[in-house]
Amino acid sequence: MHKPRPSRLTRIVPAAIAAVAALSLFGGVAAAAASPADASHETAGGALAAAASTPPPADVKGKTFTIGTDTTFAPFEFRSGGDLKGIDMDLIRSIAKLEGFSVNIKSLGFDAALQALQSNQVDGVIAGMSITDERKQIFDFSDPYFDSGIQMAVAKSNNDITSYKDLKGKTVAVKRGSEGEAFANSIKNKYHFTVKPLDQSATMYDDVKAGNSVAVFDDYPVLAYGIRQNNGLKAVTAKERGSSYGFAVNKGQNQELLAAFNTGLAELKANGQYQKILDRYLKAPDEAAPNSSFFALLANSFPALMKGLGLTMLATVLSLIFALIIGIVFGFFKVGSSLVLRGIATTYVAIFRGTPLLVQAFFFYFGLPQLTGVPIDVLTAGILTLSLNAGAYMTEIIRGGIQSIDPGQLEAARSLGLGYVTSMRRVVIPQAVKVMTPTFINQFVITLKDTSLLAVIGFAELTYQGQQIYASNFRTGETLLIVAALYFIVIMLLTQLSNLLDRKFNK
Amino acid sequence: MSTIHVKGLTKSFGGNDVLKGIDLDVADGEVVCVIGPSGSGKSTLLRCLNKLEEISGGSVVIDDFDLTDPKVDLNQVRQRIGMVFQHFNLFPHMSAIENIMLAPVELKKQTKAEARQSALQLLTRVGLEEKADARPASLSGGQKQRVAIARSLAMNPGIMLFDEATSALDPEMVGEVLQVIKDLAREGMTMVVVTHEMGFAREVSDRVVFMADGVICEEGTPEQIFSHPEQPRLQDFLAKVL
Ligand SMILES: Nc1ncnc2c1ncn2[C@@H]1O[C@H](COP(=O)(O)OP(=O)(O)OP(=O)(O)O)[C@@H](O)[C@H]1O
Ligand SMILES: [Mg+2]
Repeated sequence: MHKPRPSRLTRIVPAAIAAVAALSLFGGVAAAAASPADASHETAGGALAAAASTPPPADVKGKTFTIGTDTTFAPFEFRSGGDLKGIDMDLIRSIAKLEGFSVNIKSLGFDAALQALQSNQVDGVIAGMSITDERKQIFDFSDPYFDSGIQMAVAKSNNDITSYKDLKGKTVAVKRGSEGEAFANSIKNKYHFTVKPLDQSATMYDDVKAGNSVAVFDDYPVLAYGIRQNNGLKAVTAKERGSSYGFAVNKGQNQELLAAFNTGLAELKANGQYQKILDRYLKAPDEAAPNSSFFALLANSFPALMKGLGLTMLATVLSLIFALIIGIVFGFFKVGSSLVLRGIATTYVAIFRGTPLLVQAFFFYFGLPQLTGVPIDVLTAGILTLSLNAGAYMTEIIRGGIQSIDPGQLEAARSLGLGYVTSMRRVVIPQAVKVMTPTFINQFVITLKDTSLLAVIGFAELTYQGQQIYASNFRTGETLLIVAALYFIVIMLLTQLSNLLDRKFNK
Repeated sequence: MSTIHVKGLTKSFGGNDVLKGIDLDVADGEVVCVIGPSGSGKSTLLRCLNKLEEISGGSVVIDDFDLTDPKVDLNQVRQRIGMVFQHFNLFPHMSAIENIMLAPVELKKQTKAEARQSALQLLTRVGLEEKADARPASLSGGQKQRVAIARSLAMNPGIMLFDEATSALDPEMVGEVLQVIKDLAREGMTMVVVTHEMGFAREVSDRVVFMADGVICEEGTPEQIFSHPEQPRLQDFLAKVL
């Protein structure tokens, strides 16, 4: 019965989370419902055991513990150059080293990590998790290792707003459903400002930099990390009331690990290493370090973007090949005489043209594995989605192309004694292909652009890479310009090439 | 020996009876012209003769092949029958000579070289040898129809069907096409010619068939049909078109 912090919506749009949540509803609810009962069952024994075993036994030494964490919740855990970094990661690793145990970190996602802990698949969870009364009923928490809270920030160049009083008549950006929003709403009448809820941190910061809002209320660590990354803001108030984050183990279990964490944390605080770790991620840059130049950004982001572009092209080409095969089969079903086959093709086209591509992507990535029990990787799901989607359009392109050819052409061929297949192959199809080529090129461009929608299921194509880049450097505008320019250049080149081939072969 | 025997042929589209029992025999080398008002079923009759239309009832026998027999290889029979359409139906993505060579090469009746040789001869026959490599789009209507006739002759058929072969042509081009058809007639081709050119019908045919409302209303020699029509409907029709 954990309350997920709303502020952890990072790159995936809320719809994606809603989709996962909805699809995992049965499993999730069942597990969550069952656990408190189990936990309370064990509470007495567990608590006794814990009480009896203080001071901590030294038996963590040499052991390996599996620790669950979130996928991306900067600055607590996030991937950088393939490695998991962040305050949580540095803390748990330093403590492990100090106390002589090893950790095997599993980046599972917040909800999944908590479920894994409940089912004992991991020994502990460190995931920027607030210590709440609800959670305390299921888990045992360490001493708080971080105090969060809401802070206000404004654009770096703004010297007019220094306190809540200056907000009168202005607009303030908050993250939808977050503690920051709750806090802003609690004081908006007192200070007479308007609250504007947005979905992502990066969007909020851009809103402030663009001048649409004058200030933002966000979690102190998230905000401090952004400022450290030169997101163009500065903090102007002290941190407000807030929750504390703790390391958790399952109720009554792994008490020696919990004790070792507490001991290690105290030692890190005493020797100054704790502060060093926090400063690494949260300390404001001493003097406003200017943003690197646009060309430095371009150079830095280029390798990742090229990797993304490669995947975009791979997904486009593979999808179009499959779509073409699907389109040929179903296109011929549609012009053929069999009512059954025509019905099948019509139904297929109706379904895939009649539903949004985004919903199809969610279905194949999140839904299908739930129905079949077979997990599906993101590349397969992405290509499956695009192939079936583009296949529906291809079917219609091919049907339309064939039907646009005068029936007299087929009759003339048949009257010469040529069979149906030969007549189609030599007479109808060559003419239909010529008619269809511009529409094919069009579909090619559409599918290439549609691959960007797969970013929402975490398919690491060009748009996704762009999002990853501006999620960490906060240079949204410039990064998106680069991404857009890459799409534009590739599409221009491919369109020119296609037209050239069209002119050459379809004289 | 190329012959056509049609017995009790009926054809309906949905509930619409278009042919209501046609009996027609065409002897080897005979030229039959079919005339009649629009919608009387002339094209439908012609298209039943090579089964471009499914036959609803009765029988059509080409040489020894009964088209209503499911065991008959239609593609084989169709090679014995050339068909010329009102709108030419040339293949626009092929040159004139490729249009003609397509069937012999695809059906493996000739090698490419042989097919080219005979195609050139056919083009010469219709007076278009210099247009061999031209695309249909660059030909005049009369030239297109002459290429189409050459194409329909490529499989060396014994029977030719013409469906208003000159109706889509500008008047000054009608003559050149009719001349080609006349030449074929003189060479002894068995032909069924649907036409609105009464003068031509009178000149070229051995027999004229007048169709109205899906039946053969009257038939006879050109002399009988054009000079001594008996049925009032035929008299009406001739009064209108002559
Ligand atoms: N494929 C079809 N489906 C339905 N009805 C058809 C079809 N083909 C022809 N018909 C109908 O059959 C009737 C005869 O048509 P047909 O084309 O044989 O006439 P026609 O004598 O050739 O006329 P025209 O001199 O105008 O060419 C017409 O009423 C026409 O509407
Ligand atoms: Mg007709």
